[in-house]
Amino acid sequence: MKITVDRDRCEGYGLCEERAPRLVHLDDDGELVVDVDEIPAERVAEAQDAARVCPVAALRIGA
Amino acid sequence: MPAAPRPHRAAHPRRRGAARAYSRPALSKGILTGADDASTIRLAPLPADVAQRTGVAAVSLDHGRREVLLDDGERVGYDGLVLATGARAATLTDIGSADPGAVETVLRDLDDARALAGRLVTRPRVLVVGGGVLGTEVASACVAAGCEVTVVGRDAPLLPQLGAHLADVVVAAARRHGVRFAHHEGGVRLRGAGPATTVDLADGRRFEADLVITAIGCRPNVEWLAGSGLLPARHRGGLAVDDRCRLVPGVVAAGDVAAFPGPTGHRRSPLWTSAIEQAGTAAAALLRADAAPLVPRPYFWTEQFGLALKACGALPVAGPPAVVDGDPDVGGALLRWPETTAVSINQRVPIARLRALALAG
Repeated sequence: MKITVDRDRCEGYGLCEERAPRLVHLDDDGELVVDVDEIPAERVAEAQDAARVCPVAALRIGA
Repeated sequence: MPAAPRPHRAAHPRRRGAARAYSRPALSKGILTGADDASTIRLAPLPADVAQRTGVAAVSLDHGRREVLLDDGERVGYDGLVLATGARAATLTDIGSADPGAVETVLRDLDDARALAGRLVTRPRVLVVGGGVLGTEVASACVAAGCEVTVVGRDAPLLPQLGAHLADVVVAAARRHGVRFAHHEGGVRLRGAGPATTVDLADGRRFEADLVITAIGCRPNVEWLAGSGLLPARHRGGLAVDDRCRLVPGVVAAGDVAAFPGPTGHRRSPLWTSAIEQAGTAAAALLRADAAPLVPRPYFWTEQFGLALKACGALPVAGPPAVVDGDPDVGGALLRWPETTAVSINQRVPIARLRALALAG
C-alpha cells in the first residue's frame, strides 16, 4: 500500500501530518512530503485516517 | 454496564440518497466552480469493521432501551451512542424574515451544490443573503462563473467572523472582483412567493436579482431527539456537551450538532477541524472513563477572490496584526496577533509553524 498525493488538490492544510506524522509531513515551504514508499502494515490504518481528515480529499491510499 | 460488545454502526439521519461521504468544504469551492465533481471530493471509506447504513434516517431515540429507531422501522441497539447528525442550512423562512411561500436556494449538500452550479451556467444576477464566510465564498464562485453579485446582510461582511483587519482584506479583494455589499443591523426580508428574487434591507433599500442565495448559517439537526429526554427546551444552539463531548452517560455528541463549552458558554463551531477534534474526544470518552478533555485548537481556512487564508487560534481577532513575513497588500503574508492567532494569506506554511506562531507571545 502506498500514499498518493494529488498535487493539484493539496492546499497544505497539514491535517494529515497531525494524524500520521511518521508517514507524511509538510516541508518548510508547506509542500506535503510522503515519507514512506510502502506503508508499513501496522500503519495502514493511520494512513487511512490521514486520508480521511483531508478537507480536499487529496490523499489516496492504494496499491 | 454493557453486556456483549456489539458491532460499530454508523447511521446517518436526514441523508438524501445514499452518497458516500464527501468533503463538504469543497462544495462552496470546487463543485460550484466546476473544478470538482462528486468523484474527486469523495472521502476515504470507513474501516471494514464499521457496519455502515446509508439512505436511512434515524427518527427517534429510546435511550432507556438504548435503541435508535430508523425510518425503515429497524431498531438499532447500542452500548454507546455518538450523536453526529450535523446541521442543515438556516433559512430566512426559519427566522421569520421571508414572505409566505418564498422558495429559498441554499448551499449545504452535494445536491444543493450541483443544482446551484447548474444555475450559474446562465450567468444570473446573484444576490447573496448573508455576509459570513459561506456567503462570501459563494459570491466568489458566482463571480468566477461570470455573474454580477451583491451580498446583503445584517452584519458588515465577515466582521463578526474574522474581525476588522481580516474582513477588510477579504472584502477589498471581493470589491476588486466587482462584488457589491450592503448591510443593515435591522436585517433583511425576502419578498414575494415562489423562487426568491427580491430582498428588502431594513433601511428601505430594495435589491432584485435573478437568483437569491440564502447563506445565513446552519441549524443543528436535533428535532429527531424530541421525546428522547435528551433534548433541552432551547436547542437551537445544539447539544450542550461537556469538555469530553459527553451529553449523558453512554451518549456523546460531536461536530456541527454539538455545542462545546468555552469562555462564552456553549457554542457550536461548525468547522471541519472542530468536528475532527470532537470526534476523537467523543469516541475516547465513550470508551474510557479517564479520557482526556478536549482543549480545542481552532484552525480555520477560506479560499475566495484569489485569497487562500488559513488561521490558527481564536477568531475574530481585534486590532492590527504584526506582519511576520511578506506584505498583505502585495502577494502573500504571514500575520500574527500575539498569544492569540496566526494567519497566512496566500502563503504556504507548515501547520505546526502556524500553530506555534499563534501561541507565541
